[in-house]
Amino acid sequence: MASVSFENIEKSFGSTKIIHGISFDIADGEFMVLVGPSGCGKSTLLRMLAGLEEISGGTISIDGRPVNDLDSKDRDIAMVFQSYALYPHMTVRDNMGFSLKLRKAQPNVITERVAKASGILNLDPYLDRYPRELSGGQRQRVAMGRAIVRDPKVFLFDEPLSNLDAKLRVQMRAEIKALHHRLKTTTVYVTHDQIEAMTMADRIAVMHDGRVEQIGAPLDLYDRPDNLFVAQFIGSPAMNIVNGTMRNSAGGAFVEAAGGMRWPVSPRNAVEGQPVTLGVRPEHLTLAAAAGDSVLGEIIVVEPMGAETELLIKAGESQVVLMTSGRPNVQPGERVGLSLDPGAVHLFDQKSGQRLAA
Amino acid sequence: MKNVVTEAKLLLIGIPVAIWTLLPIYNLFVFSISSKDEVFAGRIWPEHPTLRNFETVLREQHHFLGHFWRQLGNSLLIAIAVGVITLLIATTAAFSISRLKTRGGRTVLNLALFTYFIPAAFLAVPMYKAMGVYGLLDNQWALILAMITIASPYAIWVLKQASDKLPFELDEAARIDGASPLQLFVLVYLPLMAPSLVAVGIYALLLAWNEYLYAFLLLSKPEDITLAVALGQFLSADDSPWELLMTTGLLYALPPAAIYYVFKRYMQTGLTAGAVKS
Repeated sequence: MASVSFENIEKSFGSTKIIHGISFDIADGEFMVLVGPSGCGKSTLLRMLAGLEEISGGTISIDGRPVNDLDSKDRDIAMVFQSYALYPHMTVRDNMGFSLKLRKAQPNVITERVAKASGILNLDPYLDRYPRELSGGQRQRVAMGRAIVRDPKVFLFDEPLSNLDAKLRVQMRAEIKALHHRLKTTTVYVTHDQIEAMTMADRIAVMHDGRVEQIGAPLDLYDRPDNLFVAQFIGSPAMNIVNGTMRNSAGGAFVEAAGGMRWPVSPRNAVEGQPVTLGVRPEHLTLAAAAGDSVLGEIIVVEPMGAETELLIKAGESQVVLMTSGRPNVQPGERVGLSLDPGAVHLFDQKSGQRLAA
Repeated sequence: MKNVVTEAKLLLIGIPVAIWTLLPIYNLFVFSISSKDEVFAGRIWPEHPTLRNFETVLREQHHFLGHFWRQLGNSLLIAIAVGVITLLIATTAAFSISRLKTRGGRTVLNLALFTYFIPAAFLAVPMYKAMGVYGLLDNQWALILAMITIASPYAIWVLKQASDKLPFELDEAARIDGASPLQLFVLVYLPLMAPSLVAVGIYALLLAWNEYLYAFLLLSKPEDITLAVALGQFLSADDSPWELLMTTGLLYALPPAAIYYVFKRYMQTGLTAGAVKS
């Protein structure tokens, strides 16, 4: 086990700079998820850590030791690829033992460690099969087995669940998490799926355009996004966004949206007349009587999901999603009031997208 | 109904093509089982079919055939050497260009292909001179080296295309697992390339087996030449023993046919493997 540190990491392909000076540390035993839309540089960062990409600038250290000039094989890492990258001509057993064989380990050591890993991953019945004879989930487990056998300092996962169907993905998510609990090996996990990030990570680094937008525990990112990008990227359904102008009146603060709709907020350090973006999570909106100071809206779509119901509502010129537990008795076309907890509302500067503190 | 029409069209094309291809072979066969008197009788099937010719050839009982077994052995030795060495060159080149991404690999590949812009026949005389400079004339290495030169560009090209289809993650996984380039080559690359290697090896082998012009130019001693050249010498006499020429030709065609039949599966998948980007 080991800590990992990125110090001012830069990466260019030719004259195109795709990673702009990223710095952060990953603690020993931590499960760190790098998440972001495609092209944000998360995979490149992981591949630089793996030694598969040159580092254009900065220093990557594993356990305090810079690894910039070390070969992949000398970094003591193991990687699980999206395509699994199992050797097609080797059995599961040989796939898992390959790295030890290359390191000239004793045959009995190889047998023992492969048996241990296959026990952890329930691969015993498949040890003599070839990858082509396995299902997607089994192949994924073999790829993890190949990583475990090495007992490396750091596990690297590059979108390992993207090729699996939805149901299997949920199952493997839990398996990887349980595996991390058991082995406590430092893990860096790349995904574009924010739900994977939320459910698995100790900490998440949200990346965008080659920069880290915010790093923190999943619920911290959810509750206090630093900027609009993180606010909209984390959470499903996504946070509702309304653009408007800040108004501080004697009766309380509100955001006046286009069309005159007033969204109440708690006072912020935003000045009167400042263009702001209001963000509110679907579960922080509730249905209220269509009267008084509540925000008025018209229901467009009702999506019952059993435990919860999602309502798509047109309020002024914005469309918002409301998520409520239970099954409200409403129909499309119905006019409703919306009330929101002013304390749960997020405000961002419209120009910079940065959070406006309360 | 549509199927019947399609089938009929295919047959209409297929039957003439089959006749066109098989007729010379049939002719070869009929010659080989005819006696000397019957050879030019012009019958579809000889009146008295005989295996005498085969006996004559296999026992080297004619002065044109004095070294039959030796020359067959020469053909075999040269073909196998060309197949093996071409494979060695082409595999390492393709691995280096496609997997290790060696700088300038692309240029080497294009230059190699460029050699095919000049017909091999035009290169025969320069090649003869070059071999003379190296003192290799009348040495079977001259023919082996010449055939490797001709076979390699295509072999490199095909293997490079086939290599490109192996997922690059395999190399990366192996690198992380601790494989050196040589271990990657031997333990991962070669086993996965096996079908293409068989196809390309056989291609080079058959190219050398069937070669006449270069063999004729570069070798001259009766005990050095290949059977293909020996067959050509039959025509130097006025009263050529056609039935023996055809019998030897038939025997000479058997090994390639056998090889092709055994490795048919690989030939089809291997040679087309790099043809289409999927």
